[in-house]
Amino acid sequence: MKKLFSGAGGILAGLLVAFVFFGSSSLGAEEQALSSENKSNAEAVYVPHGEHDEYYLINSGGHSGQLFVYGVPSMRHIRTIPVFTPDPATGYGFDKESKEMLGGYTWGDLHHPALSETNGDYDGNFLFATDVANNRVAAIDLEDFHTVDILEVPNIGGPHCAAFVTENTEYIFLPTRFSLPFDTEYASLDDYSEEFRGVMSAVTFDQESKEFDVAYQVALPPWSYDKARAGKRDSSDWAVISTYNTEEATTNLEINASQADRDYIVLFNWKNLEERVANGEYEEFNGEKMIYPEKHKGDIYLVPVAKSPHGIDVSPDGKYFIASGKLAPAMTVFSFEKAFEAIENEDFSGERNGLPVLNYDSVMEREVDPPGALGPLHTQFDERGNAYTTMFISSEVVKWEYETGEIIDRQDVYYSPGHLVTPHGDTAEPQGKYLVSLNKIAKDNFLSVGPSHPESMDLLDISGDEMRHLMSVPVNPEPHYGQMVHRDVINPFHVYEMDESNPYAVYDQKDTRIERDGDNVTVYGIAMRSKFIFDAASERPDVIEVNEGDTVTMHITNTDFDQDIVHGLGIMDYDLNFEQMPGQTKTLEFVADKAGVFPIYCTNFCSALHQEMTGYLMVKPKE
Amino acid sequence: MSKKLSFQSAASLFIAAGLLLITIFLPWWGMKFYAPQYQEGLNIIVYPYKLAGEIDIVNSLNHYIGMAQFSEESFPELQFLPWIIAGMALLIVITGLLRKMSLLYGLIGLFIIGGILGIYDIRRWLVSFGTNLDPKAPITVDPFVPPIIGENTIANFVTNSYFSYGSFLLLLVFLLILFPLWKERRQ
Ligand SMILES: [Cu+2]
Repeated sequence: MKKLFSGAGGILAGLLVAFVFFGSSSLGAEEQALSSENKSNAEAVYVPHGEHDEYYLINSGGHSGQLFVYGVPSMRHIRTIPVFTPDPATGYGFDKESKEMLGGYTWGDLHHPALSETNGDYDGNFLFATDVANNRVAAIDLEDFHTVDILEVPNIGGPHCAAFVTENTEYIFLPTRFSLPFDTEYASLDDYSEEFRGVMSAVTFDQESKEFDVAYQVALPPWSYDKARAGKRDSSDWAVISTYNTEEATTNLEINASQADRDYIVLFNWKNLEERVANGEYEEFNGEKMIYPEKHKGDIYLVPVAKSPHGIDVSPDGKYFIASGKLAPAMTVFSFEKAFEAIENEDFSGERNGLPVLNYDSVMEREVDPPGALGPLHTQFDERGNAYTTMFISSEVVKWEYETGEIIDRQDVYYSPGHLVTPHGDTAEPQGKYLVSLNKIAKDNFLSVGPSHPESMDLLDISGDEMRHLMSVPVNPEPHYGQMVHRDVINPFHVYEMDESNPYAVYDQKDTRIERDGDNVTVYGIAMRSKFIFDAASERPDVIEVNEGDTVTMHITNTDFDQDIVHGLGIMDYDLNFEQMPGQTKTLEFVADKAGVFPIYCTNFCSALHQEMTGYLMVKPKE
Repeated sequence: MSKKLSFQSAASLFIAAGLLLITIFLPWWGMKFYAPQYQEGLNIIVYPYKLAGEIDIVNSLNHYIGMAQFSEESFPELQFLPWIIAGMALLIVITGLLRKMSLLYGLIGLFIIGGILGIYDIRRWLVSFGTNLDPKAPITVDPFVPPIIGENTIANFVTNSYFSYGSFLLLLVFLLILFPLWKERRQ
């Protein structure tokens, strides 16, 4: 028996030696090449400690209602910016101001972040994003990466292809995905074509007061508006929107909105519309200035396009707009110049819903059909005349020259890319260094966390002729679109300055106080390392005493004017929590409707004695 | 002994007076604090009339060891020091105008006494702040006295004390006042 074992052992050992020896020698070259490629890829994305990434990548978070900030090329997740969804981590949606901004909604479907622009390039001032779910538009101040305004826009049905800004941020346009009953709140779907409209809004943003306003709206035909872009340079007064369901179907759109051979690109001149509004050529509608394009012709045209288009993008030189097929395999390049000429010559093939339809052949420059590539969606650019288009179905990025249509390179991504982004890639000044593909599916690329796998991003180096795949990373859901901006363009501040004119701010411990006016209790307190002071003169300065039913207002100032020293204030069992950044004053308001003793504590780890940074809310029961 | 100072000597004194006035607006002495989370360092910079640097942040950290708060009010010297300096400059100008050797000796004496007093004053504050620690402070550290020049370690902080431009210029002023001694001796 023993012999048998040792014999078997000997054979096994021999096999093992043979396998290791021959196995490794036959695979050696390939493995070595792979490992050196991995090594150089790793070096290309490695940002050593103390150094910063070259680009900010700001990604939409889709139905998470948030934005995500990554660094490129490291692909490190740096920050989550809550926009349409409350966020306990920052107390967003709990303090008075942000709670009012959210207006009672607990989620939003954040799409298509758009950085403010000057002369067709990002200026680093603000970022806009829309909420497809609840018809809102938000502005994020890039000085502190916080949401500063949210506007709920009336008369619209899901601003999906928004926000897109004009060359100098004159307008943020919000065309919508769903057409809705127009003159009435309810209309039968049988009357869809007559009673429904897809309204587009032109929104302005005042960068001084940080406020939105609706400038005017346009009652477009009852179709679905999918993606949009403003023109650039010579075409900067114009904008383009892709549409589907020009069939005006009301059910089973998968089939019924895919019937017509051609859908349309809506081409409009926003400068003309602006002038029309200034001349009073609009009708008051539900509080807004509404333009009916069938009554006021000359600003809006239709360009026929292969059925159910999705992405539409404008080349950096502003000469072309490129529509991508979704169902068709090709990208179609249209010429702005030819379109202007066709408009001038009234070279129309007909009219649809009162809008002139331009002759396809007069406007189309070329159709680009990379063999075997399927499902083109979105296109971004570099500064060398190249376009990069994601192929959702064939899971690849295709690099092609938009002046010639020549296919230059193709690179697999993992998997099913929706949008993609290059640095300043949708501006007049792209910086073709990196490309990030925003993938819908990761499948088994990462450690399994159950049936649902993360969304993912691929980072490519596009500085050379051939694209180089550098890395894949799992990311927060759902990367819908992103913009990549050079770090030099963004200048955040680090500490809020003292504002002696703010009546709610208290900077000196001696000025802390609790005031009572009937049933209203107002706290003027401070948070500092590592204590709360609500009333310095009190025996217990960190205790707030109120009666059941009182309305409590807490103005809390963080008096640590020190970068990154953030305090949070949570009240147990009251579902309350808000944050104060260095030097910032914030206000929390609530009704003390539960009697008892409720510990208050600092939620944001601030110092060694953070655990001791506590107090009490004492709510005396009603007699 | 009643020999008059030369014009060169008087000029040297006038320059000294001018430079002395300038020192009022320059930092004289400073302290820089380094900690792992403050790699960039926190400053306390002392001008004859004000404190500069990240005083609030230093205060908010010092409260952990129970050290008194730095503020301009806690240093009464800052109220009258500029006047003393200006007065001194005036005395130098007068000496230069009268060109009297005896006044020059008095001036040099005053300067030396002033310097010693100044250094004693800094030392006194360092002792006072470092040793009068609140016994109820959350972190108990042994009383300490940072040096007037050089390094000291306290809790997680390494401190570096140093003289700054104002003091260097002050030294130059002193040399300019001494200059007549050398000048007149040669003649
Ligand atoms: Cu805290």
